[in-house]
Amino acid sequence: MAGAVMAEVSSTVRSLPAGADSQGAARTLAAPGRPLSQSRTPQGWLDLQRWRGSAALLPALLFLGAFFLLPLLGLLLRGFTEPQPGLGNYAQLFANAAYARVLFNTFAVATLVTLISVLLAFPLAWVITLVPRGWGRLVLNIVLLSMWTSLLARTYSWLVLLQGSGVINSLLMSLGLIDEPLEMVNNLTGVVIGMSYIMLPFIVLPLQATMQALDPMVLQAGAICGASPWVNFWRVFLPLCRPGLFSGGLMVFVMSLGYYVTPALLGGAQNMMLPEFIIQQVQSFLNWGLASAAAALLVLLTLVLFYLYLKLQPESPVGAGGK
Amino acid sequence: MVVKKGALVLLAAGMMMSSGWAAASSVNFVSWGGSTQEAQEKAWAEPFTASTGTAVVQDGPTDYGKLKAMVMSKNVQWDVVDVEADFALRAAAEGLLEPMDFSVIDKSKIDPRFVSDHGVGSFYFSFVLGFNKSKVKSGSPADWSALFDTKTYPGKRALYQWPSPGVLELALLADGVPADKLYPLDLDRAFKKLDTIKKDIVWWGSGAKSQQLLASGETTLGQFWNGRVYALQKDGAPVGVSWKQNLVMADFLVVPKGAKNKEAAMKFLAEASSAKGQAEFANLTAYAPINTDSVSQLDSSLAASLPTAHAADQITLDYAYWAKNGADIASRWNEWLVQ
Repeated sequence: MAGAVMAEVSSTVRSLPAGADSQGAARTLAAPGRPLSQSRTPQGWLDLQRWRGSAALLPALLFLGAFFLLPLLGLLLRGFTEPQPGLGNYAQLFANAAYARVLFNTFAVATLVTLISVLLAFPLAWVITLVPRGWGRLVLNIVLLSMWTSLLARTYSWLVLLQGSGVINSLLMSLGLIDEPLEMVNNLTGVVIGMSYIMLPFIVLPLQATMQALDPMVLQAGAICGASPWVNFWRVFLPLCRPGLFSGGLMVFVMSLGYYVTPALLGGAQNMMLPEFIIQQVQSFLNWGLASAAAALLVLLTLVLFYLYLKLQPESPVGAGGK
Repeated sequence: MVVKKGALVLLAAGMMMSSGWAAASSVNFVSWGGSTQEAQEKAWAEPFTASTGTAVVQDGPTDYGKLKAMVMSKNVQWDVVDVEADFALRAAAEGLLEPMDFSVIDKSKIDPRFVSDHGVGSFYFSFVLGFNKSKVKSGSPADWSALFDTKTYPGKRALYQWPSPGVLELALLADGVPADKLYPLDLDRAFKKLDTIKKDIVWWGSGAKSQQLLASGETTLGQFWNGRVYALQKDGAPVGVSWKQNLVMADFLVVPKGAKNKEAAMKFLAEASSAKGQAEFANLTAYAPINTDSVSQLDSSLAASLPTAHAADQITLDYAYWAKNGADIASRWNEWLVQ
């Protein structure tokens, strides 16, 4: 058992991003007192010396291995063993057009939510950075406050605002702008609105941190070199914000893929997303094999996305903003 | 974020449970929470503890996945669980439940619809046709066909969102299938009928949402649990109800296989299904008693609002059919839903 954990741990270590690897390399280079004999030890991740000083990671890795990776593995295995051993669950998942639709919904919503929250968060983060310090902090606190308010309360509030007899529709109707209530909830529109709002802080925070760390002189330099504000924005400012946009965007996208509460409350059953489908199979139908296959799919797709992200963003998002 | 918080709570709860909460002379009772569980505590648990000295620990909410996981890992923390009728039968078929001990539980007064080898009824209720009076212009809707009559009753319809007994049956009834010919369900016909109002349906998954949809007029009419409609009427909401073709569904109390306090659990079930326990629970919740002797003990102001008063219009949903075919229907249901 412990062997399995260790195997898990080391395979995780091996698959750490390139960024972490190069940091490790940088650290070993920075240790001048290193005896030459070390070059005889095995290369790559097996080279224990390279991991010197990372012993502090061990408890966390063991914890993750025992309480996250191992149970996850057990869960994912069910997809191949229940109710009969084999690929039956996956066959069912792919053969049925309904499940493909569920998968499509999940990705469509996650993509839309990410796009919308990026578009909203960018100006917001910019304002927070630009206005005088006290005001910026105030706006940031409002963002944080909304993040700390109960998720259920916020989701229900959207229901109250968006429904046919809700505040927004009543207002628009009394102003004579519309005759029939707009259908903004119990469908995908409601889900996207509610989720974009809830995801906003998760992208504002990294984005604002990135912007805060930018040296204003760089923009000035751009202007002095003759860049119009427009060019300055596109060719100087935006590329420098990329780490914040990437890490925030990825976080929102991945979180959206696995989101349950808001779609369940603001969506209609016809727009079911993958997490809802999984819960239905686990809780109501005790069809654990199929649920596990669906979960495996979700995990796999998330990993693929994460890999793509690392490919596109070689520099570490944490370091890039700070220096 | 949320998931992490939930996991912490679970972990804490797990620790508390394993550290001796389920001691020898106690029954761990699990239900859905909210006012229903409060009433169960008051009507069943308190008198039971008073007369036997056995403590009843309240836990919840009911989670079928967790129940199965407990039984399979042979670490059963729950002694009595409130589940839906079709689940009670399916779980019994899967070997997840203890058989009832009818030498302890008096079966003779329990309505035979609500008792099986592996469970006794907790309470029963009806799916009724509820409508918002301020939204209905032309006469009160009479039966399920009103749901499909978008000309006379324009507006949205509220339906129960899970593939479980109710929706398909009411579609077939509205399409003219006689009540005694409902089963086996003609799925093609049911979904074809539902197609005609698919874009007008607002689905509800919880009682609270159903009430919100009906009381706010978000939906003109729909399928509701009778207790929830009653609660709205009591609060003065402009809500009407038709009991014609009311569809009877029940909750069952079951004992998971390997429950640690099986004997005490059976005694608790005897109390819960007794005439007095059932009457008291009904008076607190407006859900109907499964014990036929309870009817005379019902609060007179309440009696008319209970399914027991509308027995002539009742159609009992076939839980056994659903227990057997539920999984296949669900797959078909999802397919139709997301089309």
